[in-house]
Amino acid sequence: MLQVKTKKKRDMYDIFSNSIIVLFALLNLFPLYWLFTSSLKNSSDVLKMPPDWWPSTFTFSNYSEVFSSQPALRWTMNSLFVAGLTTILVVAASSMAAYAFSKLQFKGKQVIFIFFVSSLMVPKEVMIVPLFRITQELGMVNSLYGMIWPNVATAFGVFLLKGFFDSAPDALREAAKIDGAGEVRTFLQILLPIIKPGIGALFILNFVQVWNDYLWQLVIGQDKEMKTLMVGVATLMQDLNPNFAYKMAGATVAAIPMLIIFVMFQKYFTSGIAIGAVKE
Amino acid sequence: MKLRNYHLKENVTGYLFILPQFLLFLVFIVYPILEGVRLSLYKVQYQKETFVGLDNYITLFNDPVFFKSIYNTVIFVVFIVILTVGFALFVASAVFDKNAKYVSFIRGSYYIPVMVSMVVMSMVWGFLLNPANGLISYAAKEMDFSIVNLLGNKTTVLPVIIFVTFATNVGQAIILYIASMIGVPKDLFEAAEVDGASRLDVIFKILIPLVKPTTIYITVINIIAVLKIFVVIQMLTGGGPNNSSVTMMYYLYNNAFKYNQLGVASAVGVIMFFITLLLSVPQLRAMFKDK
Repeated sequence: MLQVKTKKKRDMYDIFSNSIIVLFALLNLFPLYWLFTSSLKNSSDVLKMPPDWWPSTFTFSNYSEVFSSQPALRWTMNSLFVAGLTTILVVAASSMAAYAFSKLQFKGKQVIFIFFVSSLMVPKEVMIVPLFRITQELGMVNSLYGMIWPNVATAFGVFLLKGFFDSAPDALREAAKIDGAGEVRTFLQILLPIIKPGIGALFILNFVQVWNDYLWQLVIGQDKEMKTLMVGVATLMQDLNPNFAYKMAGATVAAIPMLIIFVMFQKYFTSGIAIGAVKE
Repeated sequence: MKLRNYHLKENVTGYLFILPQFLLFLVFIVYPILEGVRLSLYKVQYQKETFVGLDNYITLFNDPVFFKSIYNTVIFVVFIVILTVGFALFVASAVFDKNAKYVSFIRGSYYIPVMVSMVVMSMVWGFLLNPANGLISYAAKEMDFSIVNLLGNKTTVLPVIIFVTFATNVGQAIILYIASMIGVPKDLFEAAEVDGASRLDVIFKILIPLVKPTTIYITVINIIAVLKIFVVIQMLTGGGPNNSSVTMMYYLYNNAFKYNQLGVASAVGVIMFFITLLLSVPQLRAMFKDK
């Protein structure tokens, strides 16, 4: 509809603003272009000034160096395990709680929900000292589980999934009740399948968030073998190796899984994040 | 009697469903907050804890580096949030009604840096800004700019960090604004068109007022995100040169994990906790208003 309008009357401001926006979008992508092409240059080309805008010779040696001189494969596995298990636990615990907040009646429901959601606004990082000591007492420092459990305590999933449960009709639940299904069966077999899009969005958003988490994984994973990919790759920056192409290769390795996820699930993303805004 | 039993049963079922999440909350959110307040009143040396009252807070307020960290954090919050909200509004209001392919190109190109994370983006920027062989430093040299090491200079370090953080994270705000503007009823634009309103009239008189809840949301989440700004500082400047880019979170981290000053670090955490709580009141109020 508005398409027609812009064709009819080309607003000067519209043309001007969109040109700037496209230009900035390309500029904004430039660091990533530079990251990627630098990682494919050899150790002397990457330092050349004036630079090669496109690698004159391509080499994958920086990537093999990342995987041979650093336990990068182990880091990747650690990240997959931490992000995967955290997300599975978040989905399980949040969907249960969201179901209760949306469909069940119990005393103190409103108060507990407010208390849950208020915690959304407090970043965990400010409590890092006591959180570290608790994790220490639970014997989970320098363990992947120490990176996982504290991050399962997040209200984001409860908040997100409650919206999906709210829009699922109550009649379905009543019908299941009449058929003699218990609460657990109603939850697992009737309502969970209906809110699949919500679970998908939560899964992807949470996975990305944990994958990109840094500070907590930095303090918990102390041995080189216990680091996650983000933390491990970040140490390359302080590495004495002066080869910047090698550092950029490490950063690319950490970035690629997220780029793939973004391309595959772009729709989930934009809708999933937007839910937070629609809900206020 | 039967009814009461039913209610009791439903109560219990409800509690059982929230139990896992509730326990995790108690252990990893509620307890750490209380424990953090307690620790901030103690001097902690490994297993030994001595009650010192408000000494840790007094230490903090006598440390010029702590004041520097507050000052820098406030500067970062103010500039990054204004840039983010302003630029995201500019982008979203210009593209939201264009064709879907163009919108997803814009959305994607601004959002990809958010996806690949601050760690990766900091590494690239660290390379670009490297005084010996970074592209930006090279450009600065070629253009006879007096400062080549932008991160090593007191006057340029803050603007550079502000720009890098803004450029990396603005995509999220753009996505939220576009989603919110697409939801604005079409007949409003039609009516404006009939009245002969220009694009700018539409933006200022219709769009900006109608997406106000989104603006509040973006402002609050960004303030809180920038308040704990850490990664970019640790990776690009280490708080330097000469503490000129130290932030509260970086100060907290150093006290806790480098200088082993757990009591002092907890006190910083408590102060930051209350600041975030205070700042999130408008957002929480908005969230519960329609409940």
